Amino acid sequence: MITVSTDTKFVHLAWQMDEPMLKNVKYPMGSDPTGKLSKTFGVYDEESGLSQRGVFIINPEGVLVSSEVNHIDIGRNSDELLRKLQANIYKSSHPEEVCPAKWHPGEKTMRPAPEFVGRAGEAYVQQEALRKR
Amino acid sequence: MEGCCGLRVGQKVPDFKIETFDPEVGGFGEICSEDLRKKGSWTALFFYPADFTFV
Repeated sequence: MITVSTDTKFVHLAWQMDEPMLKNVKYPMGSDPTGKLSKTFGVYDEESGLSQRGVFIINPEGVLVSSEVNHIDIGRNSDELLRKLQANIYKSSHPEEVCPAKWHPGEKTMRPAPEFVGRAGEAYVQQEALRKR
Repeated sequence: MEGCCGLRVGQKVPDFKIETFDPEVGGFGEICSEDLRKKGSWTALFFYPADFTFV
């Protein structure tokens, strides 16, 4: 986890020291004063010179696997970020499976197959029922 | 890359390097994409408008 804004590293230091809510921060706070990295991800706002609220997951090979941008006044959901990260990690070692909506680690995944085409909901319910027995 | 579009899911992230403040060590540092790849790390980049704001 790396946070990024267009503030300098000196401002990050001052903020982290000053704001009690940030007392337990363990992640590095990145500085993008030129907006270069923000532009790469399409979250640089030219008018204000600030970054939008975007969060991006990058896999160990350096490929972007998840992308989300919120309105500047709307906060994100760290549970959902963690869920997407876990699903991507699972997917990387189980490439033939898919993680359904709201999937969490340990829950049933699905394997796309011809007999499920047009019957995904039905197949999922059946698999869920079997799992809960 | 220009700011108009940005990266899409499935695309390779261009090499980057940023300066950091790391509260865990209480000092300044640097993170580059090459190091993250070498370490085999999954990375979440979390952008926000500015320090000392509220959301």
